Amino acid sequence: MSVLDRVPTENGDLALLAGVCCVLIGGLFAVTPLRAQLPSALYVFVEVGILFVIYGLLVLGLDLQYGHTGLVNFGHVAFFAVGAYGTAMLSAQDTFAGIGLGYPWPLALGVGVVAAALVGLGVSATSIRLRGDFLAIVTLAAAEILHSIFVNFEGIFGGNVGILGVPRPIAALVSDADTRLVATLLVIGGITLVALAGITRITSAPYGRVLRAIRADELVTRSVGKSTVTYKTQAFVYGAALAGLAGGLFALYNGAVAPGFFTIQVTVTVWIGMLLGGAANHRAVLAGLAIIMGLRLISRFALDVTPVSSDVFASIRLIVVGLILVAVIRYRPAGIWGDAQELGVDR
Amino acid sequence: MSLLSADDLVKEFGGLRAVDGLSVSVDAGELVGVIGPNGAGKSTMFNCISGVITPDEGAVTYDGTEVTGDPPEELARRGLVRTFQSTRELKTMTVRDNVRLAAPDQPGERTLSALFRTESMQAAERSVRTRADELLATFELDHLADEYSGNLSGGQRKLLELARTLMLDPEVLMLDEPFAGVNPTLTDEIADRIRELNENGMTVVIIEHELETLTELVDRLIVLQQGRVLVDGQPEAVLSDDRVIEAYLGGGV
Repeated sequence: MSVLDRVPTENGDLALLAGVCCVLIGGLFAVTPLRAQLPSALYVFVEVGILFVIYGLLVLGLDLQYGHTGLVNFGHVAFFAVGAYGTAMLSAQDTFAGIGLGYPWPLALGVGVVAAALVGLGVSATSIRLRGDFLAIVTLAAAEILHSIFVNFEGIFGGNVGILGVPRPIAALVSDADTRLVATLLVIGGITLVALAGITRITSAPYGRVLRAIRADELVTRSVGKSTVTYKTQAFVYGAALAGLAGGLFALYNGAVAPGFFTIQVTVTVWIGMLLGGAANHRAVLAGLAIIMGLRLISRFALDVTPVSSDVFASIRLIVVGLILVAVIRYRPAGIWGDAQELGVDR
Repeated sequence: MSLLSADDLVKEFGGLRAVDGLSVSVDAGELVGVIGPNGAGKSTMFNCISGVITPDEGAVTYDGTEVTGDPPEELARRGLVRTFQSTRELKTMTVRDNVRLAAPDQPGERTLSALFRTESMQAAERSVRTRADELLATFELDHLADEYSGNLSGGQRKLLELARTLMLDPEVLMLDEPFAGVNPTLTDEIADRIRELNENGMTVVIIEHELETLTELVDRLIVLQQGRVLVDGQPEAVLSDDRVIEAYLGGGV
């Protein structure tokens, strides 16, 4: 099937429509006295849901980089962290540690995204020409370096405490906790849907065809006149900017950032989600992420009913995740919804 | 004046001089064959000329300007297009997408056009699709258009690669062993197609071992040996040259 036929363009537009609606409804909660009520049992679902839509932006960016262009980025969390710290440091007021400049949050969010994109540009300027596995090492190292910078430059980044006192725009408008959670989920979820629409559009256009050609064979793509370095850099920077946006939104939702939120665990989660769902299929990677995060949620409940200590249980959870990965690699190497032929994996 | 020329090219790999002071020149509209024993430097010459590797010494001139070391994408956009010895189709893409990819000047290959799905992108894509389907029909691949190209047979891959390069509407087409692994009927078909392209004004350079078809096809034959030009001339004259018989067809004949 051809590119334009394969991903029905209506899909992207549906996501766009749904995204805008979500943002509007979320906004409605914020600016009108309209209130939502959540049964207390649902709290945890909404909270994990918010984290899911934030991570959703991460996995979409990663899918553009790896799923479509074949760039192995093992340091995705770095761009998430840069976006979060950039936003937090520009907007925080009266932070306990580190720098807080107290600028308005929309400006801070913009700066966070641009900062993440610039770091992405820096990494790709030095390393994008490297072959897949070497790029993986560079990105992994870059993420570790950034992580220790955030921990060790206490005067600037607040060390292990991080940056506190980040404004929470939705919390500022909605005092009631239930409504606040629902509105946050709707607004950030809407933004993720709009991002999904945008990514779907560019990957279903001839632009995406060039990206997939680079993944298949870079030399051939060059020999038919495409400047592959430009495309690889763009894909990397767009993914980094999306991660930066996710970081900024996270900071503005959470009201604080600290190195503990930006460990390699984040990178691992989005990678597993992407591979589980099926790389190069945007909805599939989101679904894969939902599965892996849902599993965490279920296991939280399961802990209450199993007769083991939480330490043991944490290990069991890792074993389960590992078994699922083994099963997927064995039986669905292209991911649950992935196309084995398109990804070039042997069945 | 020659359209494409290489002067005193030298390329070493480790201690091996793959190309050693090689000079060739091709005029616009020519159909030139390149032969030589294995390791004579044919593919290295192609790689140097098409920008895949940069020669250690020497200069490549195309269409009046020096292009030594220019990247392949730049040369492809200027009309110098090549194929590869072992076919390099994009296995994870469909046959049609393989061909459509090569379309030049598609505004939809820029982010903003793609994001806003501009009318110019859609118009361009419609004509790209028509052109790609025409090419696929010409090469009798139209029934496989939606098949992943990794599923094609060796001969079909050769055809696909040719169709893909033609999408670029090249000035100069450099074919590296277009008949290798292709059955005789298909070989004749590809040869006819090449002749047709050449008659319509395309300059074609072919590396090939299949001498029978090649000598019938080309206007001029260049024989390489040990990184240099051994003989350059009319096919009949070249093939009866003693040095060529010695070097290529086997001594003592």
